[in-house]
Amino acid sequence: MRKIMIDAVTRIEGHAKVSIQLDDDGKVADTQLHVTQIRGFEKFTEGRPYYEMPSITARICGICPISHLLASSKACDAIMSVGVPETAALLREVLHCGQVVQSHALSFFHLSAPDLLLGMDSDPAQRNVLGLLEKFPDIARDGIALRKFGQQVIEGLAKERIHPSWVVPGGVNTPLDSAVRDKILSGLPDAKATVRRTLKFFKGILDQFKEEIEHFGNASSMYAGLVDAAGKLQLYDGGIRFKDADGKIVADHIAGRDYRNFIGEAALANSYLKAPYFKPVGFPDGVYRVGPLARLNVAKSCGTSMADAEFTEFHQRLGKIVPGSFHYHYARLIEALYGLERMEALLNDPAVLGQQIRAHAGVNCLEGVGMIEAPRGILIHHYKVNEEGAITWANLIVATGHNNLAINRSIHQVAQHFVDGNHLQEGMLNRVSAVVRAYDPCFSCSTHASGQIAMHIQLFSPQGSLLDELKSA
Amino acid sequence: MGKVLIIGYGNPLRSDDGFGWHASRLISREVAGHDVEVITCHQLTPELAEPLSQCSRAVFIDADAEGEPGEIHLREVLPQALSSSALTHTCSPAGLLASAARLYGRCPKTVLITVSAQSFDFGDCLSPIVSAALPKVVDRVLEIACPDGGRPEF
Repeated sequence: MRKIMIDAVTRIEGHAKVSIQLDDDGKVADTQLHVTQIRGFEKFTEGRPYYEMPSITARICGICPISHLLASSKACDAIMSVGVPETAALLREVLHCGQVVQSHALSFFHLSAPDLLLGMDSDPAQRNVLGLLEKFPDIARDGIALRKFGQQVIEGLAKERIHPSWVVPGGVNTPLDSAVRDKILSGLPDAKATVRRTLKFFKGILDQFKEEIEHFGNASSMYAGLVDAAGKLQLYDGGIRFKDADGKIVADHIAGRDYRNFIGEAALANSYLKAPYFKPVGFPDGVYRVGPLARLNVAKSCGTSMADAEFTEFHQRLGKIVPGSFHYHYARLIEALYGLERMEALLNDPAVLGQQIRAHAGVNCLEGVGMIEAPRGILIHHYKVNEEGAITWANLIVATGHNNLAINRSIHQVAQHFVDGNHLQEGMLNRVSAVVRAYDPCFSCSTHASGQIAMHIQLFSPQGSLLDELKSA
Repeated sequence: MGKVLIIGYGNPLRSDDGFGWHASRLISREVAGHDVEVITCHQLTPELAEPLSQCSRAVFIDADAEGEPGEIHLREVLPQALSSSALTHTCSPAGLLASAARLYGRCPKTVLITVSAQSFDFGDCLSPIVSAALPKVVDRVLEIACPDGGRPEF
C-alpha cells in the first residue's frame, strides 16, 4: 500500500490536504480531504456581547467577510426581534451583490482559469494567475476589472473593502450617498459586458473538458439553496429548498430558525471540518451540495433578464438537474451576471437613498439565527445569549462545510479515474486539486468542529505497521 | 509631475508587519489637494497592477525581516519577469510593475521604502524602535509625493 499526499492543495482559500491511498496494484483504494486548521470562533466568542459578533465573525475570512457580517447581523436582528428598515435591507443586499461578484471573479479568473486556459497538464510553475496574465492578458484584465468593481461597490457603501463595520445589528450605520449610487450604476454596463464576454468564451471551451466534466464530481446528490416565495434565486433572504438528485423538491422554504430539523452535523476523522447532512435521510447518505451549481439546480429562475437567459441555456444544454461539479464554474459566471443585474435593480429603487437605516433594540429573544447565501453556499450563524446579551453558545455552518461530503466523494471519483499510481504524473494530481477548486472552498471559513472533533490517533512503527490506535466516540 | 500612488501593506495584527499599513494611514491624512492616491492593504494582489499603470510614480511601504530593527531603506524597483508561484499571496512590487507593463502597457517609476522589523508577533502596536521610524518614513514619502515647497523629488 502506498499513500500520495497533496499537501497543500493550492489556489484555494485556507489550507487543506488530500491523501490518496493506493492498493498493491497502484490503483486508488481510498481518498480523504483533510482540513488542517482549527479556528475556534464558536468557543472564544462565548461571553462576548451579541452586538460584537458581526465584527468578530467577519474576521473568519478575508475573502467573504461581508457574508459573515451579514449572517451575523441577521442573527443579531433576531435576538433584538426587529425587522430592519426597508432601506437598510436594500443596502445590505447591494453590499452582498458586490461581495458575490468580487468573490466569483476571484474564483473563476484567479484560481480556476489557470487550469481551464493553460491546461490541467501544463507546467505547474506557470499554471497560476501570473502565467494566465502572461498568456491571456485580455482575460486577466477582465478578471482584474470585475473583481475591482465588486470591491469598489463594497468600499463605496461600507468605506472599507475588507472587514468594514458598516453593517450592524438592526440595519446599517450610514445612509447611501447618491453620488456613490450613481458611480456604481455607471460602472455596471462594463461589468455586465465583462461577464457576458467571459460566459461566451467559457461556453466555447467547454468541449475541451469532456473527460473532466464526466468525472469531476459527476454523481448524484441532493442540492440545497435559498429561494424566495416564488421559488426564484435568493442570495440575501429566503428559505432553504432541498431537491433530490432527480429534481424533486423534498423540503421547501425552511426558515433559518428551523435549520436543525433538516440539517445534521457529523464529524469526520482526520479533519477539522464538520460534515453536514440532510437529516431526514441521515448520515452519510444525506449528502447535498450548496453553492452556485446547487442554487441553479434548486431555483426555478434567477429573476433578472440576462441571467435568466443564461439560466435557461444552462439547463437546456446540461439538463434539468446538472450533476457535474465541473459546472460550478459555469454556474458561478451566471450568478455573477445575476449579482450585477440585481444590484442595478436595487440601486434604482428610490428607497435605497432613504434615511431610516437602523432599528434600535436590546435583547428581546435569547436565541437568533441568521442565514444568507454566501458566494460558496448557505451560511448559517446561530447564537444563544443570556438576559444581558452575552453569547452563551454559538454554532456556525459554513458553505464549505455543507459541501464537505460532496467534495470528498468528488475527490474519490476524480482520483479513481485519473490517478495511476504506476505512472504518476503531476497533471493527474492537479485534477484532484482542480475538483476541489471547482467548489471554490473556503477552508479558513469552514473549520468549525470545536467540541465535536472525531479524533483518531494512530501509532505506527518505523516500518509503517500500525501498533496502536485511539478513536474518540 | 503626474499622479502618485502610495501602497502601504502588511498585517496590522502582527506587530511590526503592520508598518506599511500604519504609515499609509498617516500619509493619507496629509495628501489632500495633491494628485496622490493612497492604498492600504494587507498584502499585494494582482489587481494592483491596474492602478499602478495609471500613475507616473509609485511608492511601496513595507516591513522588512532583514536588517537592524528600525533601519530605513529606500531603493528603486524595476519591473521584473513574472515570478512562478502556485500561490496568489506572493506578489512582489517588481512583479506587479511587470504585470502593469504587460497588461496595460505602462508602469511607473517606483521606490520601495522598508523598515526593518523587530517583532512579527501577535499584536496591533509597532515596537518602539520601529514606531520611531514612522514619522521619518511619512516625511520621506511626502517629500516624494508632494514635492511642492522645495521637497526633493526622486
